Amino acid sequence: MKKIFNIKRVKLTCIIFICSLSTLCSSLFTPVPAKIYIDITSPAIRQLPIRINTSGSPTSKEIESIVKKDLEFTGLFSFVDPDVPGAEITADIDVDISEGLKVILSVRDLIVNKEVLKKRYSASKIRPLAHSISNDIYYIVTGKKGIFRTKITFLVNTSAGRKELRMMDWDGSGAFRLVAKGLTSSHNWSQDGRFVLYSSERNRKWKIYILNLQRYREMVLLSSKGLNLVGGTSPDDLVSFSSSKDGSSEIYTVDIYGKGMKKLTKSFGIDVSPVFSPDGTKIAFVSDRGGTPQIYVMGAKGRGIRRLTFEGSYNTSPSWSANGKQIAYVGRYNGKNQIFMVKSDGTDVRQFTFSGNNESPSFSPDGQFLAFDSDRDGTHGVYIMNLYIEGQKRITPKKMKATSPEWSPYLK
Amino acid sequence: MKKLLVILLLIVAVGCAKKYQKPSEEGVTSDETVTEDVITYKEVDEEVVDEIVVPEDETVLESTLSVEEQAKSVFKDVLFDYDKYDIRYDARPSLDAVAAFLNKNKDINIVVEGHCDERGTNEYNLALGEKRAKAAQNYLASRGISKGRIIAITFGEEKPFCTEQNESCWQNNRRAHFVIVKSRFQ
Repeated sequence: MKKIFNIKRVKLTCIIFICSLSTLCSSLFTPVPAKIYIDITSPAIRQLPIRINTSGSPTSKEIESIVKKDLEFTGLFSFVDPDVPGAEITADIDVDISEGLKVILSVRDLIVNKEVLKKRYSASKIRPLAHSISNDIYYIVTGKKGIFRTKITFLVNTSAGRKELRMMDWDGSGAFRLVAKGLTSSHNWSQDGRFVLYSSERNRKWKIYILNLQRYREMVLLSSKGLNLVGGTSPDDLVSFSSSKDGSSEIYTVDIYGKGMKKLTKSFGIDVSPVFSPDGTKIAFVSDRGGTPQIYVMGAKGRGIRRLTFEGSYNTSPSWSANGKQIAYVGRYNGKNQIFMVKSDGTDVRQFTFSGNNESPSFSPDGQFLAFDSDRDGTHGVYIMNLYIEGQKRITPKKMKATSPEWSPYLK
Repeated sequence: MKKLLVILLLIVAVGCAKKYQKPSEEGVTSDETVTEDVITYKEVDEEVVDEIVVPEDETVLESTLSVEEQAKSVFKDVLFDYDKYDIRYDARPSLDAVAAFLNKNKDINIVVEGHCDERGTNEYNLALGEKRAKAAQNYLASRGISKGRIIAITFGEEKPFCTEQNESCWQNNRRAHFVIVKSRFQ
């Protein structure tokens, strides 16, 4: 028995294609925009007519195409072709590939005929560079940080009983494998974006692992007996998780080094999926203490437990919005799983998906988008949804069985 | 007339000769050999019974099955209701059979895998599958099996028995599955 279950301390040398995050330096800092062109907090959003000018070389066309796709999915821009009047703003993307990849971006306000941003970029890879340009245009226009450099971790079914953890850009491109060993399930990001935490079943043991994304080195965070499932992280580097080490599945917190474990719940049934509110003061989780799985909220130290969901008999997988005001979750409705959202005080339940089964909601760090998985087109795939215009699109390939997206925080 | 007399004399002589032999004791002893024939019939019957003793040969074969092979025929999946983890009444006979098997084979341990149908969400299903595995573990413990011999593990909805989208398949997936992990003396 010892022989079968004795797991060596995991020292994972990379199963990973080392993705050299492109060294991207911007020589000019982005100024605070003087004028907000689009107020994304306003209920009636207007689209800003923008024209993007590039030289026409293959590299500049590729950059232009990525920037357009980025901005288009926000629903905040309408693109005006060159030589056609009507644009209020132009973005000139000047690409120089004579020595590495260098780009100068110039954004002009055509109404007052004034340059509002000029910035130089150099990078080794086109995609991160293009996403950085999108971030800067978005910031100039909305006054908000763009999410175009963020990543999404997700799971891929490679064979029966095996799931890999992978990572991709927010738009689904550049996917690569992070963890191939065993059956990986729950996973999440540290708030600084340096670590990915995940639960994996290997040799019939469910442990929580932590992967350093700079060195791609895996360590065991928690190896208690029973089922250990990572939930979320707090701004001060606490990890919430569920563990059945004392019998039934309860909610705990521990720091990112595996120290200072605290038990927060005590009930006979199932307590699972604990996620911190963005400010770290509250934890939403799932419990069947009322007879069916429902979402509950409590203080980060386990006090003041209250039930959040009352409609339906199966509500699981909570995810907090960036401002902490909303909780997205999966509710079973007419025999199918759908994405719902409820205010954190339990009022105003709204349904966001209607076709197929839709699960695993995860907010983008600006709260404007939601990643989730769906089988609406047959195979499960990862989708993203724009919460303002409610557009939804699949970002993983049709044949890949991809599930359980977790959106990263803002990344440098 | 002379001829007639000779014939009559012959008939009488033959008739007298027969009448003379009948009371002999040898005729009685030949009846006894017939009863001896009946005894040999009994002996034949006993030989046939000897040839039918095939079941003894089969039991010899059974004892050459490995514990794992025996377990496969004994261990039946224990099924659960939707979103439930209590042991159903109809699941008791299969659990009792597992308990009896473990009592008979003291040198083996088992893993109880808890599984769910695909309709729930992944994380909750992992917790639910663990509850099912532990429910089976607790039942076996109540039948006198040491908990140390039963390892409970959950696979949630990750290792389905079947993949069709109908109740009979979902029912087969909501299960506790038993696997032998080791023989203590091997």
